[in-house]
This record gives sequence, C-alpha cells and structure tokens, in this order.
Amino acid sequence: MAELLRQAWAVARKDLVLELRTRTALVSAVVFTALVLTLFNFGRDPTAVPTLDLAPTVLWVTFTFAAMLTLNRAFQLELENQALEGLLVSPLSRTSLYWGKLIANLAFVAVVDAVGLPLFVLFFNVSVSRVLLPLVGVIALATLGFVAVGTLFSALVIRTRFAELLLLVILLPFLLPPLIGAVQVTARLLAGRPLSESVGYLKLLAAYDIVFVSLASFLFRFTVDE
Amino acid sequence: MSLVRRGRWITLVALVLLAGVYVRALAFTPIERLQGPAQKIFYLHVPAAIWTEAAMILVGLAGIFFLFLGDPRLDRFAEASAEVGTVFATIVLTTGPIWGKPIWGTWWTWDARLTSTLFLFFLYLGYLLVRGAVRDPGLRARYAAVLGICGMCLVPFIHLSVYLFRTLHPQPIILKPSGPSLPDSMLVTWLFSLLAFTLLYVGFVTQRYAVSLARDARETAAAEHG
Amino acid sequence: MADVPQNAGYMVAAYIVTAVILLGYAVSLGRRSRNL
Repeated sequence: MAELLRQAWAVARKDLVLELRTRTALVSAVVFTALVLTLFNFGRDPTAVPTLDLAPTVLWVTFTFAAMLTLNRAFQLELENQALEGLLVSPLSRTSLYWGKLIANLAFVAVVDAVGLPLFVLFFNVSVSRVLLPLVGVIALATLGFVAVGTLFSALVIRTRFAELLLLVILLPFLLPPLIGAVQVTARLLAGRPLSESVGYLKLLAAYDIVFVSLASFLFRFTVDE
Repeated sequence: MSLVRRGRWITLVALVLLAGVYVRALAFTPIERLQGPAQKIFYLHVPAAIWTEAAMILVGLAGIFFLFLGDPRLDRFAEASAEVGTVFATIVLTTGPIWGKPIWGTWWTWDARLTSTLFLFFLYLGYLLVRGAVRDPGLRARYAAVLGICGMCLVPFIHLSVYLFRTLHPQPIILKPSGPSLPDSMLVTWLFSLLAFTLLYVGFVTQRYAVSLARDARETAAAEHG
Repeated sequence: MADVPQNAGYMVAAYIVTAVILLGYAVSLGRRSRNL
C-alpha cells in the first residue's frame, strides 16, 4: 500500500513538475473558464431569467469543459519520445501509474476550479460564503468521479485518431449522473436550502465515486498492457 | 446448420411473430380509453427498451469474461450485442417521441425510460466508435471490454439519477400506459411482442456474430500471409 | 363520457417506423452475411 502511494506520488509529481514548468494546459483551462463564464453572462438577459436558475448549470458546464481540457493532456505528453513505453518498462505498477495520473489530474482540475469559482461568484453575483464548505465538498465529490473515469478513458484513446473528440464522446454518458447530482446539490445550496434536502444526490455522488474510482483503478492495467 | 443460416432462420421466425403482434395489437387489442390508439405504441416501445438495456448488460458481462478468459468469441459477441442494442435504442428513441407528442403534447420529455435509453444510446455510440478507431484486434477487444464493463456499471447510476430527478421534481401526472393494471388482452399482446423482440435479438446477434467471425478469420489469414 | 382521443395517425407512424428500422437492419445483416 505504501509502495503504491510512493510510486503514484512519483508519477504525479513528474506530471505536476512538467506542467508547472510549461503551464500550458493550466493557463488554457483557466482562460477557457473565464471566457465561458463571460460568454454565459452576455448570452442572457439579466432581467428576464433569475440568475439563480441558470447559475448551477453554468458553473458545472464550465467546470466540466475545463476538466476535459486537462484530461486530454493526461497521456498525450507520454506519447512524445515514447515516454509511455518508458513508464511501462519501469518497475512501476500499473495501478500506481493510474493513481499518479489521477492525482495529477485532480490537482490540475482543482487549480482550474479554484480560479473558476471566484470568477463565477464575481460574474454572477451569487453569494457562496455561507455555503462555501459544502459547495467545495460537492465540487470535490463530483469532480473525483468523472476525472477518475476520464483518466481511465484517456488511456484508451491515446493511439486513436481524433483522440480528444473521441474522449469527449465516450466520456459523456459517464458525466451525466455525477453532473445531475452536482447541479442539483449546487442549486439547492445556492438557494439556501438545508443540506438534508440533497441527501439523495449526495449518496449518488458518493456511490458513483466509490464504484468508479475502484473500477477505473482496476481496469487501468488492461489499457496499457501489451 | 451454419451459424449464418441459423441466425437467418431465427430472424425470420421473429419477424413473422412480430407481424402477428402487429396484427394482434392493431386489430385485436382494445383501445385504451384515456390515451386512444397511440397507446398501442407501448407494445413496441417497451420490449425494445428492455432489450436495449439487456443488450448493454450483456456487452458488459461479455467484457468481464473476455478480460479474464481471453476468448475472442466473447469479444465478437459483445460487438454483435452492441450493434443490435443500438438498433433497438433507435426504435425506443423514435417511437418514444411519436408516442409522447399526442399524449404529453411535446416531442421530448425527460421521462425515465426515454432518458435512460438516450444515455444508453450514447454509451453504445461511444463503444462502437472506440471499436472502429482501434486497428489492432487484440487492443480493440481489450479496450472495448473495458468500456463495456464501465457502461454496464453505469446503468444502475443512470436509473438512480433519473429516479432522484423525477421524484424530487414532481412531473405533471403521467398517463401510465396500462392504467391501474394491464387487462389480460393487452398483457398477452405485450408478452408476444417481448417474445418477438427476444427472438429478434437472438437472430440478429447470431448473424452479426457470424459477420465478425468471418472478418476475424480474414484478418488472421491476411496477417499470416501478409 | 369523454371521447377517445383520435390519434391513430401517431400509432401508425410509430408502427411503420419500427418496421422500417427492423426490416432495414435485417436486410443489411442479410447482405453483410451473404458476402462472407
């Protein structure tokens, strides 16, 4: 177990260091988030639709697309210089490779979300201070789920044509249950509803995470073995 | 009898049975008083929906066994089941709106069955796209199995999220296709239709499997002599 | 007692669409399995 974590951290750290040096994916994702939020704001008539109606959806669409951007880079950079083969030949276990990638992906998405959420509060003039902790909790729960599946699938598509597009298409159905839960809970939180009203959706998110993180972690070895 | 001929015979029997169902449903089953003749779409829509989902579960199960046993027959079966499942999903997604328009006044409603089938349709699409995008047969089979297993595991979450959405968002009273309980005459028609669709699944999958078998044999022969 | 809704057209449409899809697929499979 400790060995697994150590190896996973080694993989994650490599990705994080690489990204910190170039910052391309992060910057793109952050800029993209700001762009989308701005666009949504200008796309609507502020007098017609109460902000609170659309706000959760806008937030989650933005977060999801930004997450997709970071997922796409997960294995792409391994293709250069046959880095992937190098990783596989090393004594690294397949599972720790997955966890390393997952941790790195989650870290990237966390940064993007950390920038996106304040922007969202700013542009949409919603108050989140009272519900910040549960909101962050929901964001974490939902994001873990679809990034876990997305990390697995990004390994599936690396050698295919139109990999980024294919990734989005196969990931889409897997995004829906956690997103439904996330949007519904976010909506209730922003509307000041008690957390007890969201219990069903929270259980959905938790169950999804447990099932798919384990499943993805287990199935990963079949995507990279020859 | 060769696989193809067996498949053709089963399909023929199924189509004849379906014709009988058509006659019985259209001419010899009573019209439902509240919904009118359009209710009879139910006899095609629901069995198709059942097999859309069953086919996905079978794709997933075949994937699990394939990953552990490595038998290419399981992969061929999964491929066949996915294609047939997609055809049935198309039936559900076309008859659903045609039924919905006169009954609910709108082409699309996010009702449980239609929404679940839409998710399943996206799952099938992704599965078939991945199969098409990976050239190497061994890799293709493994990737497809991974995706199929994830798809199968997603099915309960699809149902859960749709269920939560609908119970926490009361819909206008939906006219149930059967009213308080299904009268015998309607039940018999429905059961015959289910039987017809079951046979259609078996017949179609058998033929489609034979097509995959022949293609695999050609690929192996080409690889050996190439 | 309310009239039964006159929507038989939709019923016919759905039955035709289903038949077209199923027969179409059957024919497609038949052709693909003949040229094996």
